[in-house]
Amino acid sequence: MNNLFLMRAVAFNSFSESVRNRFFTLFAVFAFTAVYASVLAGVMAVDQEARVLADFGLALIELTALAYSLFGASSALLKEAETKTIYLVFSRPVPRWAYLAGKLAGALLTAGLMLAMMGAMHLSLLAFRGFGLPDFYAWALAGTFLKLAVIISFAFFVSLFSTSSVSTLVISSIMWTLGHFAAEARFMAEQLPGLKGFVFNVFLWLIPNLQLFNARDAAGAACALGPAVLFSAAAWVAASFMGALWLLSRKEF
Amino acid sequence: MLGIPSSMAGGPRTFSETAKVRGRLLLAAAVLAWAAGSFVSRGYRSPFPPPSEMRTPASGATGDMLALALGTRRLFADLWFIRLMQYYGSREVRESSNEPGHEAHSHSVDEQGRAHCGGESFGKGRYPEFLPRARHVLEIDPAFTAAGLYGAASLAFNMERPSDAEELLRYALEYSPRARSGAAQFKEDRWKYLNVLAAIGYSKAKNPAAVSESIAPLLKDPDCPVMLKQQAAFLNKKAGNYAAAAAIYADIAATSRDEAYVKNARRQLEKLARIKKITSMNRIDRIKERKK
Repeated sequence: MNNLFLMRAVAFNSFSESVRNRFFTLFAVFAFTAVYASVLAGVMAVDQEARVLADFGLALIELTALAYSLFGASSALLKEAETKTIYLVFSRPVPRWAYLAGKLAGALLTAGLMLAMMGAMHLSLLAFRGFGLPDFYAWALAGTFLKLAVIISFAFFVSLFSTSSVSTLVISSIMWTLGHFAAEARFMAEQLPGLKGFVFNVFLWLIPNLQLFNARDAAGAACALGPAVLFSAAAWVAASFMGALWLLSRKEF
Repeated sequence: MLGIPSSMAGGPRTFSETAKVRGRLLLAAAVLAWAAGSFVSRGYRSPFPPPSEMRTPASGATGDMLALALGTRRLFADLWFIRLMQYYGSREVRESSNEPGHEAHSHSVDEQGRAHCGGESFGKGRYPEFLPRARHVLEIDPAFTAAGLYGAASLAFNMERPSDAEELLRYALEYSPRARSGAAQFKEDRWKYLNVLAAIGYSKAKNPAAVSESIAPLLKDPDCPVMLKQQAAFLNKKAGNYAAAAAIYADIAATSRDEAYVKNARRQLEKLARIKKITSMNRIDRIKERKK
């Protein structure tokens, strides 16, 4: 129970640190400007303005939240190690799992807050243009959150063995891209004969299929995020967390 | 190593061994959890056409790559659709070079919905890239029904290329998302394509009344392109169904965001009101004559 309180304390500390960060404000301003700029594209789409506004806004929300979350996740642990804050934490009876879980929870809370804030801005913009709430909106945001959860936890894992936050950013961004290509890559693997196909298939087990959570893109295709999707997200987050904990337990502070 | 059993070697060594075992267990659990996530996700079947179906125009390869890599298919389908409308709204080189006076035309819509330029029969043009561009929107997002309907209706009724329209509709029907079990709220859009397909068939058989009837169920649908509504209104007007035509024009005037169509609809409503007046006057005259 005590450990859970410790975890909560780390999480809130990490969350408030993120929110107080100057970059957070900058990203919010950027998101608002970008979403507003989508009005122009909407006007060009004439009778499809509602659809274009919704799509532009949701894509920008996701990319902005991704950029900030990756930036935060890749530097969170490294920064604490560089500033030696981590020594202060571990000199007290704080288990490493509670510390890591707290950090991860803080990053997820920040991502959730960003999505909620930008979603509210976007919806008010849609209302201002005379459009209602798109049917799939909540699913799209939920799917984006799941994607972010998977990639943030993966970035935490990578940050514990990479040499700089830039390399963590690059590796995680590559994983994000590969994750969206997973369905196409699997199609190609199925076309490949023999050993090549087998090797390709094995490689695909290492990549989380982020298209699973892409309720935004599958808006026309009955996009409820089912239990299998939630299970996959939980499994990938847990795997990255345990991998990161394993790396953290090997480090000496 | 020194012949001392590890259990007798003291606390730190035991602790280190335990930590090692814990670490290995943790790693194994991480691998298992990752594999479980990947195993469950293998049941996922992409609702999109396979990559082999994509015929990317050279100028759009980067956009398509981004659409797939960032999971932003809908957004890029929207961009392709805007580009399609711009392409169809632009003047063809052949026409502008052969007809020097063409550039002076103002943008508007003719009675049959051909247009975006005041020149007579301009919307009819050849637009050789129209089919591949319209198809490409559906390759990126097969759920973009409005784009499919717009493309098919433009090809069939404006450019008079029904075989191209049928090709587009067949593609749209093949990849249009279907309802999955458990998705009770999901409504398939395939019937819309089938109705336009039927309308094209009737159009070939020179049966405007049947064309209008096939399009009718689509008219209240939010996916129905304004140009198709315009076509239905025109056919109704031609067949003498002035009330039906007026209702469609009123709907266009009230709901469309395309200024050219809205202006035309208002113009047509005024014309229909005059016709109605004349018709009613004629009726009154006939009644008066009968009374005499």
